[in-house]
Amino acid sequence: MNYAQYFTQADGWALAPIFMVAATALVVLIVDLFESGHARRYVNIGIGIAGLIAAGFVEAQQYGHPYAAFSNAYVVGGFSVVFSEIVLIATIFSLLLTAGVGRDDQIGGSTALVLWSAAGAMLMTGAANLMTIFLGLELLSLGLYALCGLANRATSHEAALKYLILSSMASGFMLYGMALLFGATGSVGLAALIGAPLSGMLVVGVGLFLVGIAFKLSLFPFHVWTPDVYEGAPLAVTAFMSVVTKAGVLAVLARFAYAALPQHRELFVPLWILAALSMIFGNLGALAQTDLKRLLAYSGIAQLGYITVALAGATSLGLRYAIFYLTAYLFMNLGAFAVIALLSREHDEGSSLQAFGGLSERKPWAAAAMAFFLLALAGLPPTAGFTGKILILATTVDAGYVWLAALLIVGTAISFYAYIKVIRVMYRPEPRPRTHYVYAHTLLPWVGVVVGAIAVLAMGLYPFVPSDVLPLVK
Amino acid sequence: MLIPALVLGPILLGFAALLIPRHAHGAAKVYGYVIALAVTIATIASASAPDATVRWLSRPFEAAFHLGWTGIGYWLAVLLAIVTLCALVAVRASRQRDFVASILVLEGAMMGVFAAKDLLLFALFWDLMLIPVFFILVGWGPAVATAWRYLLYNLVGGLTLLLATAAFGIAYGSTDVIGRTGVTPLGDVWAPWIFAGFALAFLVKTPVWPLHTWMPATYADLPPEVAAIVSAVQSKAGLYGFIVIGIPLFGSAMHAAQPLMFVLGLIALLYGGYIALVENDAKRVVAYSSLSHLGLILLAVFSGNDLALRGAFVYLIAHGLFSAALFLVLGYVERREETRLLDRLGGLGTRNPRLAGALVLPALAALGLPGLAGFAGEILILTGLYRAGYVWPAVIALIPVVLAAAYMLRVYQGMMHGPSVADLPERPDLNWVEGIALAPLVIAFVLLGIQPLPVANGLTFVAAQTATAQGPAPPPSPTPQVTWVTIPGSMGGWVLKQVVYPTQAPQK
Repeated sequence: MNYAQYFTQADGWALAPIFMVAATALVVLIVDLFESGHARRYVNIGIGIAGLIAAGFVEAQQYGHPYAAFSNAYVVGGFSVVFSEIVLIATIFSLLLTAGVGRDDQIGGSTALVLWSAAGAMLMTGAANLMTIFLGLELLSLGLYALCGLANRATSHEAALKYLILSSMASGFMLYGMALLFGATGSVGLAALIGAPLSGMLVVGVGLFLVGIAFKLSLFPFHVWTPDVYEGAPLAVTAFMSVVTKAGVLAVLARFAYAALPQHRELFVPLWILAALSMIFGNLGALAQTDLKRLLAYSGIAQLGYITVALAGATSLGLRYAIFYLTAYLFMNLGAFAVIALLSREHDEGSSLQAFGGLSERKPWAAAAMAFFLLALAGLPPTAGFTGKILILATTVDAGYVWLAALLIVGTAISFYAYIKVIRVMYRPEPRPRTHYVYAHTLLPWVGVVVGAIAVLAMGLYPFVPSDVLPLVK
Repeated sequence: MLIPALVLGPILLGFAALLIPRHAHGAAKVYGYVIALAVTIATIASASAPDATVRWLSRPFEAAFHLGWTGIGYWLAVLLAIVTLCALVAVRASRQRDFVASILVLEGAMMGVFAAKDLLLFALFWDLMLIPVFFILVGWGPAVATAWRYLLYNLVGGLTLLLATAAFGIAYGSTDVIGRTGVTPLGDVWAPWIFAGFALAFLVKTPVWPLHTWMPATYADLPPEVAAIVSAVQSKAGLYGFIVIGIPLFGSAMHAAQPLMFVLGLIALLYGGYIALVENDAKRVVAYSSLSHLGLILLAVFSGNDLALRGAFVYLIAHGLFSAALFLVLGYVERREETRLLDRLGGLGTRNPRLAGALVLPALAALGLPGLAGFAGEILILTGLYRAGYVWPAVIALIPVVLAAAYMLRVYQGMMHGPSVADLPERPDLNWVEGIALAPLVIAFVLLGIQPLPVANGLTFVAAQTATAQGPAPPPSPTPQVTWVTIPGSMGGWVLKQVVYPTQAPQK
């Protein structure tokens, strides 16, 4: 049989970055066998990061060269490049965070799983076919199920189980939706949806598909798994999930809304309503949290609401600003996680709010960095959060969704209380800490903190979004 | 590049202050004081400094880092510099280094509000200036709840400002509009809503009844040096916004909102004056007197009358000067006697004559004694209101002027006169550092009282735009009538050149 009629060399190049990430995972696993002690941690992380950076370079070569590979199942272009780079950067960040927490003998496996999950997310960014979407989603999720349960805590096992069951259920919804879409159009290609007439099957199919999307984006009311899973999972995994999963799913959503179904915009209105509810309830939920990871989970629910709102008008500017805010969110959120990683020890992630009491006295730079990231998440100037919110507000008003813009403002107002509460705890003078804190023995998370802070500031002052980001479907 | 340096300098140098050793209180004070002095000199010298612009956004609307002076913005910046200098001379706090650093950052952020010529940049600094005050309230105030209340009220205002700015940018295509002539007014579909967003932010900041509830506790809980800055300068940001954003860009919406604003302004005037009359805490008396005074300025800003607007400029600066001086002196008293309740204090004047003198001057300015700056502003506003045909508002606005005399003298009498209270600690009289901290303020409000013209005229661009404020389309060439107004009863008699533009009927 001659495979050449199906796969050309160009198809292989389109997938090259994904293969590089996946192959790096294999290298990590093999090298891990020959290392022992503390060194293996840094060797594994180093190899992982090197592979990701190399993949990032190869990925960047595809910018400006749109190409539909594998009979239009995987479409490369500015859109997939931008989202894949976001995935790669977020993965590098989360590898930096693994430096301080977890057991030495788990690092090899967890690094490999993280890399494979990242490969899944990258597959989703270019997926232009229902099957590819599902393939990417499952590749992404399978690694995460294992990663969530990695820590030796009851909450971690609970998180893994919860994530497995609920996520599988959401995948089920999504798959059912895909089946109905297939039934409505007779094809698994997203291109078949263009111009598809509005039928009952199509509406239900899109609805079920969006339920799956909303679950993965943890939009209200499909968000209930998020705080528990984020709290239980190891810190680096939480950081990974909070950005990489979202980037992959947002790419799918954007391609779906912009390229596949531009003519049936009204079908997406329920999703915008969910986004609006997420902005309100995510921030309300964040108010009462006493654990930083839970707080960031709720804040992530709200932040994803902001990003989804930007897509509401289905304008090209809206998509660009959603990407801008997603990038900003990456640096703000992962910067905050990096600060938590700085305070973590091997068996205790320093994420409880109590551990932050009087931090400004003990570690003034870490406290300042945390305050900066939280203020950025709250959307205060002169950070990327502020600029991103302005851009989203502007494009939402422009698209005619003034009510969404108003709810965004309300949500932001609520969120101030949640974020600034943490800052207040850090800057409250503490007479003397009750326990003697031992800090992580590594400076690697500092790299994440510094890079994140510089990026948040620079993006706030000079917002820049690549222009060629419209998703394609062939 | 002088103006950007005035904005960024204090912020960066404020953060740099954290490099000073923690316990070097004296060094921190000298550091802050020297920087504030340099900023004051540079601000005064920057009157004709050119604007600085760097492009910021080009889509979805144009925005720029555009810093420069509008007429009143320059005077408010000078006020800010002087008040900050005085506050830093007077400063005495625990953790002094952090305190000085916060004040410097606050100065830079507020300088940015008055220098911003782009709406988005204005909104940016508007939010930024809340943060240092919040942390000062948390770190040095007695109750954290006050800090939250301050922050939440003002941030909600800041967020509506942000939404309005975004909407303005979308509707107009650019936010680089402050102080720019020839901006086409927005249509009637957008303008009222966008203006409502701006107005809410400005009214919370000023504050105006019924949005004022954060204010008395904030002023009372802030350390006196920062209370001086916040009440003297930060509260002016809202009225400044009405003047440089509302009047030129939203003329017809301002006109439509006039009845509501008159009612709010008059309620603030009377309510603030009445509470000031019965309140026991001296700092709260001054806080409520601010509510009353700023209500008067709100009337002037919305009267659409050129003379009243000029009076508003004068009164903005005058109120800043005397309220800063009042808060500083009340701080001195509280530091000595460890209370500021009027029924506890008494008879300080006999032992502390210099302190009594320091209190009486700003109190006289506040109650509108002719010859001091407060009177200059009040008389111009009231005359302007009367000339514009608002006879009854002008008459009602006279009542709080009388009330001001009552509550200011009540504060003075309660503290300085009467029998000495036996169980109050005996402390030394005003020392020379404290005196020097007050001197610039006192000199300034005396000078402004004698010669208010530079400030009153320092708004040329707004005055030119009041003509267009009444309707969207200005006539081809309005011929202004120039009249010379002599203010009766002024020392030496001020002569004001009043430019009256032909009134136009609002367009449908």
